[in-house]
Amino acid sequence: MTHLSMETLVGLREPGNEPGDAAAREHLASCTFCRAELERLHQRVARFKALPALRPARDRWPDVRDRVRAERKRHRARFAGLAGLAAAASVALAVGVSTLRQPSAELAPAEIEQAMARSQVLESALDRIDPESRVLDGRTAGIAQELEDRIAQVDRELQLAELMERQSRDAELLRLWRERVGLLDALVDVHVTRASHVGL
Amino acid sequence: MTRTLAMDSYLLADADSVIARARQGDEAALEALYRAFEVPVYNLARRICRTTEDAEDVLQETFFEVCRSIGRYREEGSLWGWIRTIAASKALMRLRRNKYRDTDELHDELMGHRKEETHLRMDLEAALERLPQVSRAVVWLHDVEGYTHDEIAGMMGKTSSFSKSQLARAHARLRRWLGEEVTA
Repeated sequence: MTHLSMETLVGLREPGNEPGDAAAREHLASCTFCRAELERLHQRVARFKALPALRPARDRWPDVRDRVRAERKRHRARFAGLAGLAAAASVALAVGVSTLRQPSAELAPAEIEQAMARSQVLESALDRIDPESRVLDGRTAGIAQELEDRIAQVDRELQLAELMERQSRDAELLRLWRERVGLLDALVDVHVTRASHVGL
Repeated sequence: MTRTLAMDSYLLADADSVIARARQGDEAALEALYRAFEVPVYNLARRICRTTEDAEDVLQETFFEVCRSIGRYREEGSLWGWIRTIAASKALMRLRRNKYRDTDELHDELMGHRKEETHLRMDLEAALERLPQVSRAVVWLHDVEGYTHDEIAGMMGKTSSFSKSQLARAHARLRRWLGEEVTA
């Protein structure tokens, strides 16, 4: 007599019926060996459930709390920095437009303004997504971190660009604001794709 | 409104108030969550991870994530179910990161095969510990935590058939190591 395989016995513990279950149950009804095997399987699982709970050797709450505090601080600093940067850029742009109107540079301020507006829209979208409160897998978190680092780098370059001579400044500002928009776009994509992927 | 799920009400008194305060970032409420679920999370992590250090790291990672994401907990399932899924994902992530250890484990297993035959009976803890990491994770998640094969497959990035065969192979080994084999 061929007895039931472990795979079949394990499958019989599952709720619902799989193809082949009926034949397996028929065999079980007439085979004391397989019934005993299934019973041992039930008992083994019951013993697993009854194993004493293992406890951590040390309290990890202080580490968790410190990380949460550090992240909140970083989060606040990041958004405060971005708001300041946008305000500074607006002032520089307004000054540039009102004081120096050179035909060749006329388009740049408008385009910078456009890029800044787009950047603000994306910042708001990112705020609504609230990426700080989301669970990310390691790979996605790595990509998001890389994008955030590059945005921070662009922000630093934007601050330096504000100090440049107007002639070259506008072109550089436009380039940087466009780069910033591209990076923010990608960051929003990362979070939105992740959110739809995991059904959040 | 009081929580209806026994596991939560047993572990966390006044769960709704604690969750509401935790969502506002109240540190005392977040700590209350940690204190309530510290042991089950560590136990789950320790059963899946090879070392106590890895399990403690998973414990920390899990609660860091809980603190960050508590605002996203929709109360559609039990709080413990939500925390447990985060813990299981973190533990499996750790397991994937330490994949090289599985190779060592396989080696140990091959080398220890002869020894295994001379020690016909192990205790349950030792037998569980001896299983390869992936098999042990499947056994624990399925048999003890009650996850379905589909759910385990989703968390592991594998197929449901993979989970089923890992479980069957693990039980065949456990039966042998625990001296439960009988001849027909």
